[in-house]
Amino acid sequence: MNERALLARKCMDARPRLIAALAAHFSDLDLAEEAFDAALEACLRQDDPPDNIAGWLMSVARRKGIDMIRRRSAEARAGDAAALIEEGEADMGDVIALPDPIPDERLRLLFICCHPAITLETRAALALKVICGLPVGTIARLFLIGEPAMFQRITRAKAKVRGAGIAFDLPQRRDWPERLDAVLLTLELAYTAAYQDAAGEIDSELSAEIGRLAAMLADLLPDEPEALGLAALITIARSREEARVGRSGAMIPLSKQDTALWNRQAIEQARRWLDEAAAKQQTGPYQIMAAIQLTHARRAFDGKTDWPAIVTLYDALMMVRPGPMVQVNRALAMAEAHSIEAGLAELEAVDPKRLVNARPYHVARAKLQERAGNHEAAIEALDTAQTLGPPQAERLFLTQWRETLMAAQS
Amino acid sequence: MQYMLLINESEDAYSGENAAQVMEETLAGHMKLIEKLAESGVEWSGNRLREAHTATTLRYSGQGEGALHDGPYAETHEELGGYYIVDAPDLDAAVEWARMIPIPGAGAIEIRPIWPNEE
Repeated sequence: MNERALLARKCMDARPRLIAALAAHFSDLDLAEEAFDAALEACLRQDDPPDNIAGWLMSVARRKGIDMIRRRSAEARAGDAAALIEEGEADMGDVIALPDPIPDERLRLLFICCHPAITLETRAALALKVICGLPVGTIARLFLIGEPAMFQRITRAKAKVRGAGIAFDLPQRRDWPERLDAVLLTLELAYTAAYQDAAGEIDSELSAEIGRLAAMLADLLPDEPEALGLAALITIARSREEARVGRSGAMIPLSKQDTALWNRQAIEQARRWLDEAAAKQQTGPYQIMAAIQLTHARRAFDGKTDWPAIVTLYDALMMVRPGPMVQVNRALAMAEAHSIEAGLAELEAVDPKRLVNARPYHVARAKLQERAGNHEAAIEALDTAQTLGPPQAERLFLTQWRETLMAAQS
Repeated sequence: MQYMLLINESEDAYSGENAAQVMEETLAGHMKLIEKLAESGVEWSGNRLREAHTATTLRYSGQGEGALHDGPYAETHEELGGYYIVDAPDLDAAVEWARMIPIPGAGAIEIRPIWPNEE
């Protein structure tokens, strides 16, 4: 990384905290973003980068924000904005004086972006845009819609925050469970969407951003076991990033991945979070999902996969969060732990129509049919999977798999 | 900030076997809410509306004068049965009031910020 790129990276690392403090300061998401962008631009133009980048950006962004309010109010000729400007004058000194410590308002910002009054998909988009600063084009590709449509969605969500009076305060204790669920669901959706992008086709920074969000979640909510569970889940998924795509660009399934390429530091971090969560003795779906992934991750240390343990964990997951996708994965685990027949029988019980994305079901069917020696049925399942819009890396993987099956038949 | 809480409830809920009891319980719920509102000192108002079959709708087709029609503007399973207007600091606080509105059976409460006069 050259010096300028390094500086930009440092600025973006400081972004969530700064945007959050600015949003709380101005009670305005748009203004916070615009002020930050203006400060970032000014920072990147400096010949001598400031020592305290976050403090510098904060001071400049606050001043820029006040300038923007002044310009807006001059345009609108609104008399009552004068009060805001008066108050703002005092802040001008900050640029020269040592910057104040920046208050940590990230949790507030997370709760605003993930408010249940905003639709789930838009929440995820809003969080990625406002907190991570991802370009709208990247977010649009992530959720498979056009850039203008995504831009409109985000703009509307911001208007909702403003118009509906979504508070810039932390939620009341009594609202906490509902609001926390909304936050966790939002991050899960963002992670699930990003995980599809095995080869990093959408944006190489995307996965890293989601990883940072996950770490932020664990950092901000250390007493919420499910927040730690979700952070662990996302972090383990990220630990396999280097191993998920082969040289040909084809996806490599978990069982065939070279564990030497797994990021052990990430796995360790996830294990620590999961241990801390377990100490609270309040289990939940994210902790169970993370435990399943951690069980897979053990292969990096002892070369084995404890399939009976994984089946037990899927049983537990079926209790707390049943769904056809859990059943599909449970079937695959049963095939390993017990027999192919048991797995196939379990898979037969799944109704693919109930799946939002039926592709994993057909891929699972192909896998078990191949193992059972029914190559024709396996090829048929692969062909169905191919029609369900797999991303590039998965498409290549499925094509190669099909070729192997065809070759074995002739 | 002022919010309007629009109560959409099924009128059928009040015409079943134990209609009188449902009505009594619902009214008691409203009384409790009104007491709470009075206690808290927030500015509020609200009204119960007569049944949807008493509604008359002036419908505009987009060209010219409106034509009078019998009944509410939308044919739905739930009817607008009443509303509250409360002064609340933010959406969460408005939702908190909305949650106290009794709804017998299925229904929905729409929470809409009122456009302030000065904007």
